[in-house]
Amino acid sequence: MTERRAVFPFSLLAGLLVALTGAVALFSLAVGRFPVPVERVAWILFSALIPAEGSWNVQETSVVLLIRLPRVLGSLIAGGGLAMAGAALQGVFRNPLVGPQIIGVSSGAGFGGALAILLFDGLFAVIPLAFVFGLLAMIAVWSLGSGDREESLLSLVLGGVVISAFFTALTSLGQYVADPYNKLPAIVMWLMGSFASSSWDRLVFAVPVICCSGTLLYLVRFRINVLSLGQEEAEALGIDVARNRWFVLVCTTLITAATVALAGIVGWVGLVVPHMARMLVGSDHRKLLPVSALLGATYLTLMDDVARSLTAAEIPIGILTALAGAPLFAFLLKKRRREGGAWM
Amino acid sequence: MRRMLPNRLRVVGTGICALMFACFLISPGEGAKTVVTDQAGREVVIEGPIERIVTIPIPAASMVLAVDGSSEKLVGMNPLSKTAMEGEILSEFFPEALKIRSDIVQGEGFQPNVETLMSLAPDIVFQWGNFGDNLYTPLLNAGMKVALFKYGTQEYLEGWIETFGAILGKQEKSATILDWHRKTREQLAKRSGAIPDSEKPRTLYFLRFLANYQVAGKNTHNDVSIALAGGKNVAAEEIDGFAAVNEEQILLWDPEVILLNGFERELSPDHVYTNERLKGVSAVRNRRVYKLPLGGYRWDPPNQETPLMWMWMSAVLHPGRDKFDLAGEMERAYGLLYGRAPSRDQYDHILLMEKNRGSAHYDALFGRAK
Repeated sequence: MTERRAVFPFSLLAGLLVALTGAVALFSLAVGRFPVPVERVAWILFSALIPAEGSWNVQETSVVLLIRLPRVLGSLIAGGGLAMAGAALQGVFRNPLVGPQIIGVSSGAGFGGALAILLFDGLFAVIPLAFVFGLLAMIAVWSLGSGDREESLLSLVLGGVVISAFFTALTSLGQYVADPYNKLPAIVMWLMGSFASSSWDRLVFAVPVICCSGTLLYLVRFRINVLSLGQEEAEALGIDVARNRWFVLVCTTLITAATVALAGIVGWVGLVVPHMARMLVGSDHRKLLPVSALLGATYLTLMDDVARSLTAAEIPIGILTALAGAPLFAFLLKKRRREGGAWM
Repeated sequence: MRRMLPNRLRVVGTGICALMFACFLISPGEGAKTVVTDQAGREVVIEGPIERIVTIPIPAASMVLAVDGSSEKLVGMNPLSKTAMEGEILSEFFPEALKIRSDIVQGEGFQPNVETLMSLAPDIVFQWGNFGDNLYTPLLNAGMKVALFKYGTQEYLEGWIETFGAILGKQEKSATILDWHRKTREQLAKRSGAIPDSEKPRTLYFLRFLANYQVAGKNTHNDVSIALAGGKNVAAEEIDGFAAVNEEQILLWDPEVILLNGFERELSPDHVYTNERLKGVSAVRNRRVYKLPLGGYRWDPPNQETPLMWMWMSAVLHPGRDKFDLAGEMERAYGLLYGRAPSRDQYDHILLMEKNRGSAHYDALFGRAK
């Protein structure tokens, strides 16, 4: 583990990032297809807390409070959660290529969600099924890769490819048998990823799950540091490796499943953002986890601003994060290698 | 010489018109040989009588039933053609139609299982011609007679009806149906032309509403229909074809009338009225959200009952203007198409009186009191 020398104190950086995230959130509340003047946005927000009289109308109120606010909160929390989950997974697996998508959790959760849409009406089944299948996928990948005591990079990635392909095929099967008018559009929408249907009742489901799991991950940040040293070192330091790994895995799977339930499959955030964070604060998870969360929240919220405002038609956010994420990841990979820096 | 030129022009003009509107040229050959030029410009020759027809495009099945007035010759159809019949008027008119095989394709696609199709021994198969040649070359390789259809405009639709007339030996009936389509269209064009732009309600059609908000922009049949019925499609300027939009965009367009598709079975105007986030939209405030009826087929895409849809839409968009007597028109049209008239209960079912009753003017326009 290499400790990067900080350019300036962590507390200052953290403060700046919190301010940036807040600013992005406020900015996002002021952009969109429906023009609402900035000062009116502020008044509407203000009057939601303390009832006040104003000149805004019912449309503007619902745009700000019922459409943008849940959507911005959704993307903040999902982005933060995914980035944090990615950072934790990369630490525990000691592998920079790991993200919820690479190790099959996203595909598993995606299939679980598609199955829930196929079998049930309404959303109540989406989170539990997304979670169960996400967890199943992760267990399968792990058991495929755990031939040797030290999980090797190759077997892990290959295991992820295999399991992802399997669940993707199951999802395609679900699409194939789905009623084209009544079920299929929801599944397709789901697989492309979108915050368009964010609403307060969806947030009520997903936010507690993501916040609790995120907090739990933050509470074990020191153990993730120890786990990232490798199995033998961790055992030598008196840590129950298997149990702690499981704890982290369950937390990250919960986060992934909840974001999948909120917005469908949003790829690349959990893979790319932790790398950006690592460039800022190094790989000490005590700093890396909160910084990843803040950067992820900002990143995904800005992406969603583009998705909902650029054209009259809504752009699926999964497409945007992949289009931006893949080149960004390639760039980080190249830069890192040129600098000869270690990954972890 | 002087007189010949205009004549020749007229001949050429008629030829072009026939090509444009019919797209199909049919020449009943010697004996029982039928020659069809399909909408991809291919010539299809069928020897012997045509007794077994398979249709893969979804609205085509109900058109065969309408033109033939029976379900005897249709031996295979798209499963989604069947879901448009189940529990609806067509299965009451033609109960046997529900026994027709529909397992030749699955899901949203149009790729048939060639061997299942062969086991039906069709004399002719109707397939899409504008979704790539993968959909029909395997059928041709298997030695089947395939005629290709194209989709999206009233002109193509009229070609379908004309072809079915020729194939089924019901040219006279298909000509009458086409005549009704064209006359209604002209009549409506004249009416809506007389309506000043400022009085045309801003209208938005949702192809999907429950999973996401898919709307119809320009270059869609729905856009053409809205214009014909005297409305202004708010999505036409920014959307080409169909696209998903978000609630802010809907609020920005602020439609005065919202039309909901007939594809999503569960969908009803209440879904729109109870959506907190759309409560500022004019159509919601004035309760002018209507779900499109489902008669012999879903009224959304081009089909044999399209003129009735236009009349219905013009009444919904302009409840105050003089309008068609839809009940009477339906009785006449159903007599022509299916040889039967809908009962009062069937009429209520087709027009979705239950679902649409809570919307402005609906009961007054189409209810029993009238």
